[in-house]
Amino acid sequence: MKKKVLAVDDEKEIVEFLENFLARFDITTIKATTGQEALQYYHQYQPEYVFLDIKIPDKDGITILKEIRKLNPSVKVIMITGSEEKECQDKAKKYGAIDYITKPLDLNDLKEKIKEYIL
Amino acid sequence: MGTKIDYRRELERAARQMILIHRVDTLTKLILRIVVQATKIKHAGIFIYDKNRDEYVVRVSRGKEGFKMPSGFLKVRKNNPIIRYFTDKSLDFPKKAIVWDQLVGVSKSSSARSKKIPKQFLDDLMSHLSLYHAKVCIPGFFRNDLIGVLFLGEKKSKRNFTEEEISFLSVLASDVVMAIKNAWLIEDLNHQLQINKRLFLQTVVALASSIEAKDVYTIGHTERVTKYALIIAEGLRRYKKIENWEKFREDLRIAALLHDIGKIGIPEDILNKKSPLNDKERSVIEKHPAIGAKILENIEEFKEVLSGVRHHHEKFDGRGYPSGLKGRKIPLIAAIISLADAFDAMITDRPYRKALNTDEAIGEIKRQRGKQFSPLVVDVFLKVYNNKNNHKR
Repeated sequence: MKKKVLAVDDEKEIVEFLENFLARFDITTIKATTGQEALQYYHQYQPEYVFLDIKIPDKDGITILKEIRKLNPSVKVIMITGSEEKECQDKAKKYGAIDYITKPLDLNDLKEKIKEYIL
Repeated sequence: MGTKIDYRRELERAARQMILIHRVDTLTKLILRIVVQATKIKHAGIFIYDKNRDEYVVRVSRGKEGFKMPSGFLKVRKNNPIIRYFTDKSLDFPKKAIVWDQLVGVSKSSSARSKKIPKQFLDDLMSHLSLYHAKVCIPGFFRNDLIGVLFLGEKKSKRNFTEEEISFLSVLASDVVMAIKNAWLIEDLNHQLQINKRLFLQTVVALASSIEAKDVYTIGHTERVTKYALIIAEGLRRYKKIENWEKFREDLRIAALLHDIGKIGIPEDILNKKSPLNDKERSVIEKHPAIGAKILENIEEFKEVLSGVRHHHEKFDGRGYPSGLKGRKIPLIAAIISLADAFDAMITDRPYRKALNTDEAIGEIKRQRGKQFSPLVVDVFLKVYNNKNNHKR
């Protein structure tokens, strides 16, 4: 069965790009651009992996992280943060994200994370 | 032949527009549109060197859904083989464009060129290129600095890029770099200008507060007058076209801050006298607008500011000072400060009288409409004042 990733970012272009990129590794992407969508799709599709932007206008990333982890403590969440958001990165780890990637990102780093955690 | 003419025209058009554009993003967007249209590719992006991060970040991109590299989302590090291809001095080959199809040829053959590109580096380079779906990368150098790299995706037709296209794009890239350099220079200058402007304004405020040290009753007065004057001007703008508004507002701000600067030349015992002034003392005090104008007259940029300072005690009916200007002869900037100044004076305690309450002050302003004050400025003031009060309720 194909691996499933929920990609959450308020920028549509970013989730579309991630979808296209993950498809190269034969990974299916479920795209969400709001916190509400993220939780709804999480319920619906139960993906094992989540790429989650830390700044979502309707619900911040940390809140979404907490709620998703409440539903499934073993879910693997990788946060997408800005490089200056050290505090957020620490918080993400504290609330159970397995790792984070920083924007702007080098696609080779993203590839390595995918290999490390998903493939 | 057809394509040749097209390119030349595109190039000329781009070059012409580039001269006019000083913002990096606007410029790069324009260039990219031309590139994508001319070469019919799936996507393209421009990675520009980011001074603060010391990496190359995608600033502008175009392309179809999923391929378009979101602006600010992707980067390449300085040690990425795509960058090293152009910058690493130990790699001894021409620093021209990276062309995927040529690399494929090199990797399969053992030609003279392949010996110059180490196998390991070549594999690494190709694997990075494919991550970004890049078929061609064109460097943009300024002297020896790599300013940016243009990433080009596959053509919709899946055909290879022609030599002609690569050289067209290379010429374009070097023009873009020149323009980016210029834009950076202008951004830096603007930044510097902002700093200077702030410094200047702070100096004006410092100068203005020097009066307060001398005239205790003006403490906070200049600041409030400036605030009222700017509010009146904002209101006035809705009824009357004000030429060169930005400059008008700045001149007004500075003139309001400095309107009483001439009081520096008035003896303290007169300024702070607790009983009514006699005629002689009054005539001394009435010199302060002219003294203020004199202090500021050597500052060339202060022509309008000067007229605000000099004439803020003129009256609409011509009975003011120092020039006895009448009606529309009074500069607008001075008419605004005059009302703001008088209003604040009325509602604060003075050495020789107690403050009026605001209703009394408003009544007095209405009575002085067309006498002391410009009717237009009074009308705007009343409108703004009523609006503000209605909001409060």
